[in-house]
Amino acid sequence: MRQVKLDFSDLLFGATALSYLAASALFIAFLVGWPSGRPQSLGVALARWAPRLVALAVPLHAAHIVLSSLVLHVCPVEGMHFAMSIVSMLAALAYVVARRRFRVDVVGAFVAPLALTFLLASRVVGAGGPPKLRSAVLPFHVAANLLGVALFTLAFAAAVAYLVQERHLKRKDLHGIFERLPPLEALDRAEHRFLVAGFPLLTIGVLTGTLWAREVEAGGAAEIARAAFGYVSWALFGAVLLLRAAAGWRGRRAAYGTIAGFGFTVLVLALYVVRDAMTAQAVAAAGALP
Amino acid sequence: MILVVGLSHRTAPVDVRERLAAGADTLATVLARLARRTELSEFMFLSTCNRVEVIALAADQSAGDALRAIREELALHGGLSHDAELAPYLYETRDDDAVRHVFRVAASLDSMVLGEPQILGQVKQAYDAAVAAGVLKGTLARCVSRAFAVAKRVRTETAIGVGSVSIASVAVDLAAHMFGDLSDHAVLLLGAGEMAEAAARSLGRGARALRICNRSFERAAALAGQMHASAVPWDGLDSELAHADVVVASTASQTPVVTREMVKRAMKARKGRTLLFVDIAVPRNVEPAVHAIDNVYVYNVDDLEQEVARGMKAREKELEAAEKIVAAEVAEFLAWSRGLEVQPTLVAMRAKARAVLFAELEKSLSGRLKHLGEGDRAALQQMLESAVNKWLHTPTTKLKSRAADGDAETLAATVRFLFDLQEVSAAREADRVRAESDGRSAPTAGDEDERLH
Repeated sequence: MRQVKLDFSDLLFGATALSYLAASALFIAFLVGWPSGRPQSLGVALARWAPRLVALAVPLHAAHIVLSSLVLHVCPVEGMHFAMSIVSMLAALAYVVARRRFRVDVVGAFVAPLALTFLLASRVVGAGGPPKLRSAVLPFHVAANLLGVALFTLAFAAAVAYLVQERHLKRKDLHGIFERLPPLEALDRAEHRFLVAGFPLLTIGVLTGTLWAREVEAGGAAEIARAAFGYVSWALFGAVLLLRAAAGWRGRRAAYGTIAGFGFTVLVLALYVVRDAMTAQAVAAAGALP
Repeated sequence: MILVVGLSHRTAPVDVRERLAAGADTLATVLARLARRTELSEFMFLSTCNRVEVIALAADQSAGDALRAIREELALHGGLSHDAELAPYLYETRDDDAVRHVFRVAASLDSMVLGEPQILGQVKQAYDAAVAAGVLKGTLARCVSRAFAVAKRVRTETAIGVGSVSIASVAVDLAAHMFGDLSDHAVLLLGAGEMAEAAARSLGRGARALRICNRSFERAAALAGQMHASAVPWDGLDSELAHADVVVASTASQTPVVTREMVKRAMKARKGRTLLFVDIAVPRNVEPAVHAIDNVYVYNVDDLEQEVARGMKAREKELEAAEKIVAAEVAEFLAWSRGLEVQPTLVAMRAKARAVLFAELEKSLSGRLKHLGEGDRAALQQMLESAVNKWLHTPTTKLKSRAADGDAETLAATVRFLFDLQEVSAAREADRVRAESDGRSAPTAGDEDERLH
């Protein structure tokens, strides 16, 4: 029974990876303006398929996560490699839900390769060590953070696209990639909304993280750095939202703030990945001892 | 023979063109007058701001008479005493060149602004008017409806219609790249210059609001009345800048009317929302330093002209591909229409063969083969029928292929001579065949996708 499940899960993995891969290829082709020949409609038609492929990949990805966690008997939110896969799936899901409303199809050009990378990584990177101590707070902490990070990923992608557009407009260069990216305001609006949606989740994540850290009385340098980076990203995102509302910090400044905030979020995630890798190494080393 | 006589922006100044133009009210009169000319068997009258043309099919092989008839009617229509007055402005084409001309005009390859889309609609209107007047129903109708299909091909298979080629459309494009659609945004027209008016009109079409601010409030109010806009007083400019998202500036002021300080104040009031200035005025109305303010973009007339030039250049690059499509379509159309020319000879040849053979069969059936039953008689008839078909298959295809190359006239005459085919009956047959292949369902403007043959 277990064997069959594993095979099916492999199949899902393959199908998901292929969908993300095809979507990424189409997005990149669109951004670089391929095919450049006539009729033009071919490029447009191909580009239209890219978000659809992401939409196809999301349920496959979700099914793969559920099935794999059943097979491996791990709670999907425990190992970081798995968590990253979930983040990317959630980001893809949020993208599929939001892209029409915000008219920012092109954000998929970032989401699809990201999802593909994390999906593949979840396969390659070994299972990390389980958390040292369990707590009732932990599932909330992880779930809120994963969803939050997924939304910040989208905000980040929109912010990068915004800066590209803004740069082109300031330089008065209205060609090339400029013609293919969404309108400036659509990107700014999408970035803001992703932040608005992600910020409460990050707030919950930071609060539960603080509580949990107290419970387990963690005090290692890595833990402290992780917490510090978490607070910084929270403060940055908060500042972006606050300044936008109060002082009209839109556009370029908001985009830079979002990118910086996302950078700190990535640092937090990276520290988790390092922790898992080190734990795994320690476990392996312990296993090698007589 | 298809003919075109006309004048365009390339050959005639606007005062000549406007004399000959026909609006909706006068078109019927012109068509009725042309219909009285027996030299023309079919025709249409195309009138746009940039061209006036009569596209016609000569009634017989003498194109000269038909051309003269058109010239005379054009002169009459323009109120000129003599058609020689028009001569310096007119161009005339016939045959292949005329077909190519019609296709190129419809595909907007001969337009003042290459690839502009209006011309196709104007040709369609002229076509519909002529069809409704009953003066366009055969080969020429087929030619023009084919021109619609050619125009569509050119538009979809090349990028001749892509890119902005006017200041107004560049401004609209720019606004679209900043705001998406303008339904949530306001446009402010600063000053009331003609160029800015055109841009504001295009931008205002999709905008939530269009406001006009001018030093003379009366002038602003008058213009606002024409454009479904609202006028605002000049001293309210500061607060207008806080509300508008696109500002089109074109005042005659010698010093900037929008300064960096003003915009900085406005940006505070508008909480940093994006603001686009389209400054068409020379000297410039908006201080260049305004472009450096966050979320504010200033595009002046040079920036816009540069985009226009670029758009034009891109379209010119597509010209070669478009001409190739036109050339292929002309060849296809000519092959079809020349096939029609040998059709009477082919029909007469077949009729003659059948007549001879069936007369012989009839003779035999009432003589030596009298004893044959119904079944055998039918079988014999069937045999002769297929013998005729097989025997004439080769000459038919050869004649048709020669016709497609355009040199079947001598050959067809030889065939008629050898088989002693009646010229008169052939001519009548030609009419019948034409009516059958063209008029069976009079093509309409919507027949674009219909292929020849």
